[in-house]
Amino acid sequence: MDLLKSMKISSSGLAANRKRVEAISSNIANAQTTRTAEGGPYRRKEVVFGSEPARDSFSDILEGEVDLDAQTVHATEVVNSNEPPILKYDPTHVDANDEGYVAMPNVNVMKEMANMISAQRAYEANISALNTSKGMAMKALEIGR
Amino acid sequence: MIKSIGNMQNTLKSYDMDSWSKSVDVGKELNFKELPSEKAIGSEGNESFGDFLANSISKVNNLQQDADFAMEKLASGKSQNLHETLLTVEKAEIAFKTMNQVRSKVIDAYKEIMKMQI
Amino acid sequence: MKVNDKTLQALASGLKFREMRQEIISSNVANAETPGYKAKRLDFESALQRALDVDGNMGMKATDEKHFDVGSGGFDNLEPEVIEDPNGVVNESGNTVNREDEMAKMAENKIMYDALVQLMNKKLALKKYIINSER
Repeated sequence: MDLLKSMKISSSGLAANRKRVEAISSNIANAQTTRTAEGGPYRRKEVVFGSEPARDSFSDILEGEVDLDAQTVHATEVVNSNEPPILKYDPTHVDANDEGYVAMPNVNVMKEMANMISAQRAYEANISALNTSKGMAMKALEIGR
Repeated sequence: MIKSIGNMQNTLKSYDMDSWSKSVDVGKELNFKELPSEKAIGSEGNESFGDFLANSISKVNNLQQDADFAMEKLASGKSQNLHETLLTVEKAEIAFKTMNQVRSKVIDAYKEIMKMQI
Repeated sequence: MKVNDKTLQALASGLKFREMRQEIISSNVANAETPGYKAKRLDFESALQRALDVDGNMGMKATDEKHFDVGSGGFDNLEPEVIEDPNGVVNESGNTVNREDEMAKMAENKIMYDALVQLMNKKLALKKYIINSER
């Protein structure tokens, strides 16, 4: 039972990191988008992680029982970044305003790449934890063989 | 070319077999009579076979207890010595299985004797 | 040789606690970037050592069920402790998880777990051998 819970925790880490990579790819793809549905340039998306206690079933939640205080992780929110868009001087651009400035998305591609590598490493670490838990469960099946 | 072969031969001759190996003249250095010899086990005279057997069984039991302690220490994290624990366990297992084989042989010998017709 | 002796129970308890430890480590790895999360540790060694009393140093008797089990080999009310790692270095988002550290701890935990399974198999195999030896 404990190992199954471990695997659930690791899989939550995998899902959260995948969401993060999704947000990063969206940012990179839209690094030059000046027109969006809400008007204005594309705003960089960020994923906020939150942890919550790992619950097995609804009955656990009802009883308020927390075994070991191990936490699953959730990508709780995808927020638009609050940083202001970058103003670039380009009077020939279609979306230039009166002074000739274009509001470009506040996406720094280098930073996004670095974040992506970090997210990939986190993904791999969670895979390793998942494999270890699975290995332990398989080993336990070998007792007495 | 011929000169180099001649040189090679000269070099080889200067290192002939005898100077390579130092042969030991065995007869002079060792005196066989003075070597310590191991006494055959159980030849102390006074110890009976029964005592010897009881001694061996208690030794095997001690090994088993050592193995148990080693495993408990490893499980509780008191000792981090993985190889030592496994060695202790192996020793105990081998001793136990050897004793079991000895027991089988003794029983076989007994049966053999009982089969003999007077 | 008893069928269910203290050593077998010790090994089984060790297995159970290492599983719990794996759960905590997985939680740490999954939350390595959650803001405000503090790395946790599971400590079972002190409770288990007290219960086993391998060296015979602690000569205490447990007469009430709330007493700690010392040396009597009572394994039912062994409680491990979950503590926050006191040595954690806090980074700017309030997270103290060091991922490499967690991976190393996970590897060590797995190796010890495998070792305990192997020892348990050896013990059980010996008992089966005794049962099966003829004559």
